[in-house]
Amino acid sequence: MAILIRRLEELDQVENFDCGDEPLNNYLRRHAWSNQEKSSIGVSYVAVDEGAPRTVLGYFTLAMSSVPRAAFPKKYVRGLPAYELPLILLARLAVDRRFVGRGLGHALISEAFRISLRAADEVGCRCIITDAYRERISWYARYGFVPIEGAAGSGPQRMFLDLRTMRVALRH
Amino acid sequence: MPLKNRKKRLDPSPVDRPRKTKFQADLAPAEDRTVRLLKQELQLSSNTDFLSDALALFRWAVSERKLGHRIVSESASGERKVLVFPRLERVAPDLVLPRAEIQWTERELESLAKLASAAEADPPTDALIRALRD
Repeated sequence: MAILIRRLEELDQVENFDCGDEPLNNYLRRHAWSNQEKSSIGVSYVAVDEGAPRTVLGYFTLAMSSVPRAAFPKKYVRGLPAYELPLILLARLAVDRRFVGRGLGHALISEAFRISLRAADEVGCRCIITDAYRERISWYARYGFVPIEGAAGSGPQRMFLDLRTMRVALRH
Repeated sequence: MPLKNRKKRLDPSPVDRPRKTKFQADLAPAEDRTVRLLKQELQLSSNTDFLSDALALFRWAVSERKLGHRIVSESASGERKVLVFPRLERVAPDLVLPRAEIQWTERELESLAKLASAAEADPPTDALIRALRD
């Protein structure tokens, strides 16, 4: 199985994608393409096997965002740059359950890191943020994501990975 | 003599004078008809004006695409069409991610500010090093 990760294309077969989580399935099937090409609110990258290059085995979605400096509590803004804090949102990451355990998640997040570094080089960015399902927190923590405290309710855990950490990792 | 000298000073040397470039194109009959029609619609009398306006429009499109901006037409009913023009895609940056709004709680912003303002970032984990090396 030779895996290729590339931008989602219109003719990709997404209808049978099943990661076991309906919101993630539904996003890929119904919204990923239009959000990418029409609304431009997120770019999705898909993992495909070179032998069946239209069948999506896994995907992730990235977008840029920022936090205005004025939004931060005043006593914490010292040490922050005098501008908005630019960040990359790893909005979704999912692997079809028929292909779990083959390192696809690692391949997808690796590509998300590489794209994030390139984006940071081109447009400037300080960190990656993701909203992790509670049962996936430890998986993201393995890559150095740390929890951002203070989420409302018991929903996903927002997590942070510093771009500086990634640049250090590149030098290893 | 003085008059001659003055005239010489006012007349720019061939090096200073902006050179005009002649532009000649062999158009297929259909393209020629299109040019004529467009000139008529835009009330342009000369090919030079036509080319000059087309150039301005093309230059704008290239500069927008170079910034990663998409060129979109929107109908009165709000239907949007994105211009996809292969030559323009060549100048677009390799990677431009769209923008999303994220909702933050007050405490999350405190936590984010602490993490982002740390003097030094955390060292990378083995998994992260492997991810970027693989």
